[in-house]
Amino acid sequence: MTKTIPFLAAAIFLTVAHAVPAQTPPASIDLSKFPARAVSDVVVPVPSEIFVVLDKLGTPNWRAEQHKALGKNTGNRPQVALLLGTVIAEGFIAVEAEDSQRVKEIGRELLVLAEAINVRKAVIARCKSVTEKANAKEWQAVRTEFDGALQDVRGAMQELGDDDLAQLVSMGGWIRGTEVLTSVVQKNYSPAGAELLHQPQLINYFTNRLDRIKNTRLGKDGLVVRTGKMLVAIRPLIGKDDGSIIPVENVRRINKMTTEMVVAITSPGA
Amino acid sequence: MKKLLPLLLLAQGLLLAPVHAYVNDALSFAHETANPYFKKGYTVREDAWGGDLGVKDQQAVAAQLFKGNDYWFCLGTDVGGAVVTIHIYDSQGKLVDSEAWQKGRFAAARVVPPKTGTYYAIITVEKSPKERTGWGVVYAYK
Repeated sequence: MTKTIPFLAAAIFLTVAHAVPAQTPPASIDLSKFPARAVSDVVVPVPSEIFVVLDKLGTPNWRAEQHKALGKNTGNRPQVALLLGTVIAEGFIAVEAEDSQRVKEIGRELLVLAEAINVRKAVIARCKSVTEKANAKEWQAVRTEFDGALQDVRGAMQELGDDDLAQLVSMGGWIRGTEVLTSVVQKNYSPAGAELLHQPQLINYFTNRLDRIKNTRLGKDGLVVRTGKMLVAIRPLIGKDDGSIIPVENVRRINKMTTEMVVAITSPGA
Repeated sequence: MKKLLPLLLLAQGLLLAPVHAYVNDALSFAHETANPYFKKGYTVREDAWGGDLGVKDQQAVAAQLFKGNDYWFCLGTDVGGAVVTIHIYDSQGKLVDSEAWQKGRFAAARVVPPKTGTYYAIITVEKSPKERTGWGVVYAYK
């Protein structure tokens, strides 16, 4: 009998396995065996994905989180690209604050910056729509327009062969988004709020993108180099494993780094 | 050369058009998949991801997701008669779909992330009458 048990067990296993519908997904997969070419680069979240969670965790004073100065176009393309990202993120904050006047200002600034890097056409309709929807206080629609503006600006840059600059737009948005996230979280610290900072793959992705910049001049740009250093410094502060607790001290340090970076991006001497 | 330029551009356009066309079509089916969730109050991201796969081939789209949000990943293909699936795994490779469905050229998977971190949407072409099957993915969140 003991000899037949393994055979019975095997037969049962095979029967059960056969009965499972073909499209039932495996309960686990070995991601390390997934061919690298079959894994797309990580999807960069839009700022509102984070803001939606923050809203669920409490009621931050979004007006107090807004920056008065949006920054100026210095003519330095990497700075303008980073600035575009921070301005779009500022737009999301203004939407959270339901500040229609500010939203309209940001829409106009977006157009000016887009012109500076030859992608104005891509965002004209978006900026017009931002103004109309801000007037109507259709906040969800304004949020969608900013999301679309980010996508359109990046798409237009990629079409112009400026993929590296397009990535800087995303990074600018992430830096300002992280600044406001850490600001809100440290004012009312909770492990659940701090956990939003756990974005290891995203930071690795940004770091790799900066390392892979082909244009030497762009790669050596002061702001680009500084962004890379900041990402490397932030990486150990955001928790090693999913779900690990990020202490308030780390939140403060990340806030300090991103605040300084935003100042650098928005300052006239950038 | 000036006279040749429009012809060159047109030729380039013709060469590129079919490549973009099927991905664009697949993306429009992905948006169609996402429509019911938009009506349920989810925000559908305007960004989309796409490509093409052979039968039984898989593609992973890595995404940074946040605990506290609720996501639907919506897949579509332009190939009639194709069967595509999408499922979500965490960074340890564990299946985390809280719901998933599949209906021919449309499929979707919902995830309510238990932790903030990196997740992988695994796209599979289960069946297709064509050698290569264009696919598009969008995601919605609330």
